[in-house]
Amino acid sequence: MDLKNIFHEENCLLLKESSKTEALSEMIESLCSAGYVDNGEDLQREIFYREQLMSTGIGMGIAVPHVRYKGVTEPVAALGISAKGVEDYESIDNEPVTLIVMIIVGENQHKQHIRLLSQIMEKLKDSNRRESLIAAPSGAEIYRLITGEGND
Amino acid sequence: MTSITHLLQSFSPSHFNTVFLLGIVLFLGSAGGRLFQKIKIPQVVGYIAIGIILGQSGFRFISRESITDLQGFSSFALALIGFMIGGELKIQTIKKYGNQFTWILLMEAMGAFVVVASLVTFGSYFLFKDIRMALALGLLLGAISSATAPAATTDVLWENKTRGPLTTTVLGLVAMDDGVALLLFALATSVAGALIGTSTEGLGMSLILLLWEIGGSILVGSLMGWGLSKLIRGYIEDDKILVFSLGIILLIIGLTQILDLDTILCAMSMGFFMVNFSPKKSKNLFNLVEKFTPPIYVLFFVMVGAKMDIRSINGLVALLAALFLVGRTGGKFLGATLGSVISKAPETVRRYLPFCLLSQAGVAVGLSVIAGQTFPDPLGGIIVMVVTTTTFVVQLIGPPSVKYAVDRAGETGLNITEDDLIAKSVASDLVSNRTMIREGQTIEQILQIFSTQDDLVYPVINRDKKVIGIITIDNLKDTFIASELSPFLLAHDIMIPLVGTCPEDATGAEAFALMKKNNRDYLSLTDKEGNCVGILEERTARKKLSLKVMELQRKADALG
Repeated sequence: MDLKNIFHEENCLLLKESSKTEALSEMIESLCSAGYVDNGEDLQREIFYREQLMSTGIGMGIAVPHVRYKGVTEPVAALGISAKGVEDYESIDNEPVTLIVMIIVGENQHKQHIRLLSQIMEKLKDSNRRESLIAAPSGAEIYRLITGEGND
Repeated sequence: MTSITHLLQSFSPSHFNTVFLLGIVLFLGSAGGRLFQKIKIPQVVGYIAIGIILGQSGFRFISRESITDLQGFSSFALALIGFMIGGELKIQTIKKYGNQFTWILLMEAMGAFVVVASLVTFGSYFLFKDIRMALALGLLLGAISSATAPAATTDVLWENKTRGPLTTTVLGLVAMDDGVALLLFALATSVAGALIGTSTEGLGMSLILLLWEIGGSILVGSLMGWGLSKLIRGYIEDDKILVFSLGIILLIIGLTQILDLDTILCAMSMGFFMVNFSPKKSKNLFNLVEKFTPPIYVLFFVMVGAKMDIRSINGLVALLAALFLVGRTGGKFLGATLGSVISKAPETVRRYLPFCLLSQAGVAVGLSVIAGQTFPDPLGGIIVMVVTTTTFVVQLIGPPSVKYAVDRAGETGLNITEDDLIAKSVASDLVSNRTMIREGQTIEQILQIFSTQDDLVYPVINRDKKVIGIITIDNLKDTFIASELSPFLLAHDIMIPLVGTCPEDATGAEAFALMKKNNRDYLSLTDKEGNCVGILEERTARKKLSLKVMELQRKADALG
């Protein structure tokens, strides 16, 4: 999958908020205002329900909140950077989360869901890229870094 | 006024048109069968009882003319029965039981003959004070007594899905002891003819005729079987195969009537030929023909009942009939037991076989009618009335005693197919596993469940224990590309919506039909409140059923 069609510059954010609830809401809000999702409240309920089952903070400062959601027909993702870190994310390694990748796929896109998760994980495994992302000054730069080829 | 009379006339029995009568007979006959089945009496007895009520002994709705009109159907039924019996006689089985068959066959047939002949001769000597007359009567009734009705007996076996040594022995015997009965009858007719002084053919001539009847029937039947197996080789459509098979069976009936051969023996030879020389093709053929038989059987047995006239019984006939019944039952018991002991048959055969040999019908009545035409009254008339009376009695007690015997021998329900089991089973019994996956369980935990259990589909429940979806092996497979994620992916992330639910008390057949309709190989079973209690998977359910079928088969094999 081409990440250029899944991420959009307006959804690549330097997060203002630093609590989990507020940071996630900020990202959902950006997806709504960009017109990729109609009903923000509904999506929020789904995202938080999933977080209740188990936190999506998977360590190394990364979190991947993800849901299959009936409100979208094609996969869409948002990336939020919090340089100082979200302390209350309850990551598996108890470290603050600096990179949040929110992934929303259509209700029946089971395979795309897993593939997209795997593809993004592959990108974020690279610690240089993670550092560049955290240091990025703008949404445009974040977008370039996450959708760019190779390990620059 | 005239029109009303006309209308009334059209409802009087003699004006029933044949098709209308057929409808009544089939409808009431099967209703009677069902009723008797409910009270645990073989349905054959129900058919016959309805026949008695409708026929000569009862309301005479079925007139003598109608019985004659419908004679063709009785021949058809007998031919079908012969054909189906022939299909059961696999050479392999006969080889296994061959020695047993021969001994028991000879002993049970001769046992009945000797005992009935002695008792009747003795009894009628006191009545008539005429040793020639008594001896002729004894020999003829003795010969007739050796026959056993294949139809009523095998119908009970098929109804109860029996399998085992007793079933095999009974099937072999009832098919073949008509041959012995014919032989004895031919001999008895010659001797009786000489005693009474009627000019029938000599002993030599009647033996030749008998040889022709038996040999010719086997030859014609085998030729027809050969023809049919060649003919159906080019066809795979069920309907064409069925039509060819029925056509050939009807041809056999016609030919045997023209050539003076034995219809049952001829049809049996055809069935025997097919099952042994074209086993693969004929398996389907026998299934098709079997599905066609029920209405013909119902008709046949109702007609057997309708023909009987209990009103013609008088003291003399009653006494001879009693001697016949006692002698025949005793002779069959003695002979069958002795034969079983000599041939070292399994215990179940020795103990319960005699109960299966009591029925008499077509062949016995047929022979008595021949005797009635060959010998002048009173001899001829007495034989017809005695045999009609005894047939009436044994037709009613024969089938239940077969049922008793196979039940006691433990052979009931062992000849069951997967489809029978599906129809009989309850959906919830087919679920082997009631494991549920919680939506918060990780892929690692789910893999654990899949790897330690047999099923390929599991329901996913939420905190309130409500089923919110399912996970199949396919969903799990999709996660293999992201194995590093498996500690973080949950059932919630990979489950799919549930398609198809069915109440847990539905029959297996209903559940399987629903799966087919949904194009899924699983469905969810729900309790009365609509909560999922487990997933029914076609694969595991079929496995369970075929294990059960195999177990029943092993049980049948273990009987002997």
